[in-house]
Amino acid sequence: WLYLRARKERERREKRQRELRALALGQGNFQLVDHRGQPRCKADFRGQWVLLYFGFTHCPDVCPDELEKLSRVVELLDRDAALPRVQPLFITVDPERDDVAAVGRYVRDFHPRLLGLTGSPEQVRAVSSAYRVYASAGPKDEDGDYIVDHTIIIYLLGPDGLFLDYYNRSKTADKIAESVRKRS
Amino acid sequence: WGLRQPGLCACALCRFRAPDLRGRCGPGREAESRGPRIAAAIMSAPTMEERKACWAARDEFWRCLDGHTEDAPQCEKLRRSFESLCPQQWVKYFDKRRDFLKYKEKLESEGFQSPETTRKS
Repeated sequence: WLYLRARKERERREKRQRELRALALGQGNFQLVDHRGQPRCKADFRGQWVLLYFGFTHCPDVCPDELEKLSRVVELLDRDAALPRVQPLFITVDPERDDVAAVGRYVRDFHPRLLGLTGSPEQVRAVSSAYRVYASAGPKDEDGDYIVDHTIIIYLLGPDGLFLDYYNRSKTADKIAESVRKRS
Repeated sequence: WGLRQPGLCACALCRFRAPDLRGRCGPGREAESRGPRIAAAIMSAPTMEERKACWAARDEFWRCLDGHTEDAPQCEKLRRSFESLCPQQWVKYFDKRRDFLKYKEKLESEGFQSPETTRKS
């Protein structure tokens, strides 16, 4: 019976893998600028496991929470010397305000390896749509301030640059780390 | 709670809005030297310390509301502190969040008791 259960579990996992591969998120290249002002494209991250989060620096609570969680995942994985070092990435969905300096100030508060990326509105739109990220800027108030409504997801990319899995707000750092560990 | 009273945003309290000549809150101080229109456009995002101060003020205000009623006058001071430590957009966002959480609570507690509600939902 235990054998049957293990086999059922394996089949469930394989089915999920096929579904995720069929989604084929993150196709194509992206051209952005990192928070040190260096141009970065998708190929730069080949060979690395990447955990990617889309957000914006004026975000009231969700983005800091998710980036804290992401930092925690990286810390947990770093503890295992046998695992490759994961590269955490933050991409802004608010390029109008989040320039290189703004992104630099923001990522400083999280994991030291967290790399922030921004670009022109066109470049950001291209990478957001490649990952099917929903992002919609709300109305501006009298200070010109606004909140960007957006999907809250952490994406896992493998060393070949392909999308492997995604984790929503309800996934804990421990669960995410476990999921990454299983694949690497 | 949406009304902002003039003169309450003293410079010492309001990082996010320096009062104008009429005592109303204006754009963030850092951007002021670049002119009012540009100032409005590039008000910098709160730092980690400012975020934590805002969340703490919000939590204190919400704890007060939990202990009284949703528009208790006893919580007025904490409300003002919350408004001065958080960007206006965040105050609106957290107010909506509070409304939603209260609504959800109401549904969860009353939903089972009232047959009318369960029929509708």
